Amino acid sequence: MLLQLNNIFKWVQQGGQRVFLLKDINLEVEEGEFISVMGPSGSGKSTLLNVIGMLDNFDEGEYNFLDEPVHTLKEKHRAELYKQYIGFVFQAYHLIDELTVYENLEMPLLYKKMGGSERKAMVADMLDRFNIVGKKDLFPTQLSGGQQQLVGVARALITKPKLILADEPTGNLNSKQGEEIMELFKQLNDQGVTIIQVTHSEKNAAYGSRIIHLLDGRKEER
Amino acid sequence: MLKNYIKIAWRNLWKHRLSSFINISGLTLGISSCMVILVFVGYETTFDAHHSKADQTYRVVQHNQLPDQVQHWNTTAYPLAEALRNDFPEIDMVTQVAGPMSREFSIHDSPKKPRRFQESHVLFVDPFYPKTFDMEWLAGDSNSALSDPNSVVLTAPLVKKFFGFDSDNYAAALGKTLLIQDKDPLTVTGVVKSPPGNSDHQYKILVPYEFFKINNPYFSSNWSGNYQGTTFVVLQEETLKKTLETKIANWKKKYLNPQDDKRISYRLQALTEIHNETLYGGSPGGYIMPSNVLFIASMVALFILFVAIVNFVNLLTAQSNSRSKEVGIRKVMGSKRSELILQFMLENSMLILATLGLSILTVAFLTDAINANLSIIDLQLAFGWQHIGLILAIGGVTILLASTYPAAVLSAHKPIQALKNRQGTRTRGAGLRKSLVAFQFVIVQVFVIAAIILALQMNHFQNGPLGFDREAVVITETPVFEKLDVFRNRLLEDPGITEVAYGSGPPMAVHGIQLGTSYRLPEQAAEEALEAEMKIGDVHYLDFYGLELLAGRNFLTNKEAFDEFIVNETFIKPFGWQPEEAIGKKIQINEGQATIVGVAKDFHNNSLQYKITPCVLLNWTYFQNQAFVKMTGTDYGSLSHMEKIWKQTFDTSVYQYHFLNESIEREYAIEQMIFYGFGIFSFLAISIGCLGLFGLMYFVVSKKVKEIGIRKVLGASLYQNLAFFMKEYIGLVSLAFVVAAPIVYYFMNLWLEGFTNRIALSFWMFLCGGLATLIIAMVTCSYQSLKASLANPVKALQEE
Repeated sequence: MLLQLNNIFKWVQQGGQRVFLLKDINLEVEEGEFISVMGPSGSGKSTLLNVIGMLDNFDEGEYNFLDEPVHTLKEKHRAELYKQYIGFVFQAYHLIDELTVYENLEMPLLYKKMGGSERKAMVADMLDRFNIVGKKDLFPTQLSGGQQQLVGVARALITKPKLILADEPTGNLNSKQGEEIMELFKQLNDQGVTIIQVTHSEKNAAYGSRIIHLLDGRKEER
Repeated sequence: MLKNYIKIAWRNLWKHRLSSFINISGLTLGISSCMVILVFVGYETTFDAHHSKADQTYRVVQHNQLPDQVQHWNTTAYPLAEALRNDFPEIDMVTQVAGPMSREFSIHDSPKKPRRFQESHVLFVDPFYPKTFDMEWLAGDSNSALSDPNSVVLTAPLVKKFFGFDSDNYAAALGKTLLIQDKDPLTVTGVVKSPPGNSDHQYKILVPYEFFKINNPYFSSNWSGNYQGTTFVVLQEETLKKTLETKIANWKKKYLNPQDDKRISYRLQALTEIHNETLYGGSPGGYIMPSNVLFIASMVALFILFVAIVNFVNLLTAQSNSRSKEVGIRKVMGSKRSELILQFMLENSMLILATLGLSILTVAFLTDAINANLSIIDLQLAFGWQHIGLILAIGGVTILLASTYPAAVLSAHKPIQALKNRQGTRTRGAGLRKSLVAFQFVIVQVFVIAAIILALQMNHFQNGPLGFDREAVVITETPVFEKLDVFRNRLLEDPGITEVAYGSGPPMAVHGIQLGTSYRLPEQAAEEALEAEMKIGDVHYLDFYGLELLAGRNFLTNKEAFDEFIVNETFIKPFGWQPEEAIGKKIQINEGQATIVGVAKDFHNNSLQYKITPCVLLNWTYFQNQAFVKMTGTDYGSLSHMEKIWKQTFDTSVYQYHFLNESIEREYAIEQMIFYGFGIFSFLAISIGCLGLFGLMYFVVSKKVKEIGIRKVLGASLYQNLAFFMKEYIGLVSLAFVVAAPIVYYFMNLWLEGFTNRIALSFWMFLCGGLATLIIAMVTCSYQSLKASLANPVKALQEE
């Protein structure tokens, strides 16, 4: 079991009333799964993803990640956990504009205090694997959206995470670029990486092995 | 990792070139101006501190008790030193100085005409002088150089000037002879380095005091008068000062006559305090830099630095908010908070290091430029290691301030907030920034208003009516009394010269030359005598200067034994006379008795900082040592002709002349310097303030681009959008005005109170300052606001 959510609640106070963002979510994810989260705008998809990624807190419930009780961990330990096991892919890519492709890929390794030669080898390997060796000295703004997202995925993968969280990874891309990214996800999943993606598109969702539908913060198993 | 940080820092600085430029130039300006002022203050507070006995040396100063006041003199009677030396063995050393005076030197080394030099910095010193005050001997023996009365010690530049010897053979000058006043031969016995700029003893030539004593037997034995003598004592320890003062108080009756003993008392003033103390005045020939001026200068320096640092921090904080996305990414990628703080500190440190480098260069350049270009006083500012150290310290503090706050705020963001760029993260620190901007406006307004008031007062000094004509007047020395008539007649042959008069000096005392005397009715006791200024003028004097007689008549002739006085209104006030009543009254002055024949309307016999004092004009033949020559208009074509006539007539000394107007202006040299300095530095402060405002506006506008876009789509006009930006700043400026006005009022009142002739502070001066600041702020903001308001709204709205 990779992770387990038990009765997760998350809410905000608005005008003296509780507005629920997540309501009684129960979810178990095994290693090697490819899950798609779907639902209309405001249904809590991204919130769920952020909770799983430990970027956001929840108000009630239990969350176990690799048998670690996340809800009891301190902020610092939680950060350690997600840094080690989780990679993030964003809709808006979120590359650092002032760094080249190579440097963007290198950055997570720097924070892992990895040696220079090892870093070099891993970045080169990643560039090779994604076929972007020729782009390594370009800045993000010099790339197309599809290429930027490619770099985004490569950056998420470089630390060899167990789990990839992707928040509408194809949302800013055209259909052809989107398809390429989804194919890539499929390949990664085949290699054993667990993926949870948020998507609007039925077609993209179909790449996954399981689909979770959310409506008003509540999970609707179909 | 470090490489990565530096790389991203550099790329960021380059990407935001404009704000980097504003940041660097603003802080550089601030640090540089602050340092230049501090270098100046340091220079002015270390006068004569370089002497090894500086802490033990004291100047003897004199209190002169008058019926209505106590006068404080920086000079004492000439025989004082010798008497002290003989009677007080506990004093380590006593040295007597006379001068500096002006003397003519001639060198007869060629068979043709001798070479003549008029030198103004001749100091007469006894052999104890080089033991009290350090000097660097380049040739000759410091112990024996001044023991022979007919010896002379030259400073290096004069050796070059007189004999053409360079630094490699100063010794060759030893043994050479020159004539002083074309009469007595002096043998060169030593060559010394010129005294440093921050010394009140600015001599060029040292002549033994013994020589002065032999040639001026009356002065040098007179205990009653003060001429140009200064006495210095060196004490073993500070505690001796008080006991010595008491002892001297009981001892002085041994030499002073009973009247003088009552009137004169002596005090000791520490050598290092002389330059910053206004009570006694500086050394003759030197100038004073009052400690309160230096205090204000230091405050100005700190204010400028403060504004610059506040700006810098302010801008960086504003700037760093746009980095929140990067912070979010880095956090998600695994950065610790401490690593983020380190990154920002490093980045800002790069900026600050660049600033520090630039500042050091700027200060070095500025001090050189000031030394070279300031003609009012001879400054030799030195930019040393201690100043560089201070700059680095300032940099360190700035790094701490500028880095920790933005870094701490930013790195505390939750990554998810940062990535989503929520509204909450934008407004943080806005209140603080606003109050900092308001505070800056306060300082800028203080500067602007103070500058306006200073300018008006300076204008009043320089152009205020003095009560006499001063235009187109040239003054020159007249060494031979017998030839005055010849000189006058020959001058008047020139159609370019309209009037000539002789006297002891122009109506307003210039160059510190003022003859003093005391006056009383013949039947009054000597103790009741009042102080007056004495002038000597010929029969043309009144007309020449356009002095108006209220009663009586002009002199008919000048006599060897004077018998007539013309006095000013202030002179007769103590007697309660009307001008007409005063005519025919007999008055006793130190120099003798005479009758008042005329009363002149008050004119400014002192420069405008000071009051009009009692003044008496004598029909004496003595002291008619200055010729006043009025030229037609201002083209002064007759100047060279006048020189020719002068040389033919007197045929002795070195010809010199000066314009009265220029000499009068020089009376306000210190005020002028304060004015210029303040003007420059307030301009800098305002510039720094503007840079800060400009930079801040850059960020405010970039945050509001979307809002402006929405407003435009909804139908706001260009002017409405501009007003939207300006509104806030008008409010801040007005608030700052309310705070600034009383502060300026207080300080300017304090400054003006020091002057008798001052402008009245009025509301419009403050209002002008406030409006000026408002306009400056508007202009600064308008570029950015206009750009934002003119932008295409669709573009602004697309961005999200």
